[in-house]
Amino acid sequence: MKKLLTLAALAILASGFANASNSDLVKEGKKIFNTKKLGNCFACHNANGKKINGPGTLGPKLQGLSMWPEQALYDKVYNPYKTNPISAMPPFGLNGVLNDHQIKAVVAYLKTIK
Amino acid sequence: MRKTIVAGLLIGAFSVLSAGEFDAQANKDLKALKEYMEKKFATRKGAESYFPYTPKEELDKNFKWGLKGDDFRLGSYAYNKNGKEQYDEMNEMPPYEDNIDAGEELYKNTKFKNGKSFKDCFPDPAIKGEYPKFVKGKGVVTLADAINACLKENGEKPWDMAKGKMADLEAFFAHASKEKGKRYHIVINSKEAAAAYEDGKKIYYSQRGYLKLSCANCHVQGAGKRVRNEYLSPLYGQVTHFPVYRLAWEELGTLQRRIKGCEKNQGETTHKLDSKWMRDLIYFLTYMSNGLPVDGPDIRK
Ligand code: HEC
Ligand code: HEC
Repeated sequence: MKKLLTLAALAILASGFANASNSDLVKEGKKIFNTKKLGNCFACHNANGKKINGPGTLGPKLQGLSMWPEQALYDKVYNPYKTNPISAMPPFGLNGVLNDHQIKAVVAYLKTIK
Repeated sequence: MRKTIVAGLLIGAFSVLSAGEFDAQANKDLKALKEYMEKKFATRKGAESYFPYTPKEELDKNFKWGLKGDDFRLGSYAYNKNGKEQYDEMNEMPPYEDNIDAGEELYKNTKFKNGKSFKDCFPDPAIKGEYPKFVKGKGVVTLADAINACLKENGEKPWDMAKGKMADLEAFFAHASKEKGKRYHIVINSKEAAAAYEDGKKIYYSQRGYLKLSCANCHVQGAGKRVRNEYLSPLYGQVTHFPVYRLAWEELGTLQRRIKGCEKNQGETTHKLDSKWMRDLIYFLTYMSNGLPVDGPDIRK
């Protein structure tokens, strides 16, 4: 019984950790999205359901991204020319502005956009 | 028979007389650009096709439509109603008046060590609309280049091309041109000049810097869209009003300085203000304002 309880506690802890680290990632992604010197995504994009400070209109208002596969979002941010050769969006992975971890953080944030 | 000969002679005479050979492409480009911008800002109806990501309410409320020719000399204030209101307020007490006076003073009362003055280089100050010029052997000469060349020829030190005295003297030249109702009249009259124009055009339309944006992304397709809260100005008429007093600078600055800022916007290492890159680019840019009134100095955010 005691063992079971410990296991349960551990499981809760583990899931808690997983949540915590995911929400940290989302937080980090949000910051990258809204910081000029990082992703600067808000220069061009609004995002459905989010409070963005003065979002630009060069790119579409982002919506329904929670439905996108993570890989598709990763690809879009890494290199938008892959799916749109004449995209006016910068290739944030290809040009080295954002590293692999930062793009994953941005993707975690994009997944929260309904 | 005689008719054909006469016609043939006429055509021959035309091709000799008109400079149209060397500026034919540039004129075509300018005409197409003007048509594109006039269409883009013609009516609210159908505007979605040009502004797919702009909220409908913004298109309904904040845009002025029906823009034509000279309207574009105002840059983004031509269509951005809120911005135009703020701009009109700022222009009630123009912060650049002292600069015009300082420029006039420089023009009239600077004595070079050899006894000459700016008047010897520029007998008529109403010349803002004539620059840049293409000079064989030198390439494109912007007004700032010409001012520095005048200083050097007379044994004086050249000025910083971004601001200060350079911006002041340009402000006076612009003001004098505006007073006389001058319009931009940039000339392309040789093969070399046409090549410099094409070089500037290529610079404008190629992806630059690590953000891989072109000037055209923001100022042709992008004109009327926003980067954050800032409305993007159109290439057509974009340089009519320089030098400008920018609130962000809290002082007057030249076109060269503004372009350097946009190079940074697109993540590019910047070019020297008197480089061939900069001069060819300004040749193209100014040609794309040909026929529009000289409208400087002015204010921008
Ligand atoms: C200079 C403007 C610009 C910037 C900066 C920018 N984008 Fe974009 N973005 C666009 C444009 C234009 C499109 C539409 C064309 C396309 O899909 O390639 C787009 C499309 C997208 C899409 C696809 C949306 C859809 O519904 O198809 C996503 C996702 C996206 N951007 C995310 C981002 C993220 C994340 C960043 C920052 C790391 C960013 N963008 C920065 C201009 C920009
Ligand atoms: C990322 C978007 C972006 C790119 C790329 C860009 N600019 Fe700009 N530019 C702006 C913004 C924002 C402004 C300020 C608002 C305005 O007036 O357009 C501006 C302003 C200007 C102005 C002053 C307009 C005025 O009315 O005072 C000029 C001239 C200009 N840009 C030229 C260029 C040139 C040349 C390039 C390429 C070398 C370039 N821009 C690339 C965003 C951009």
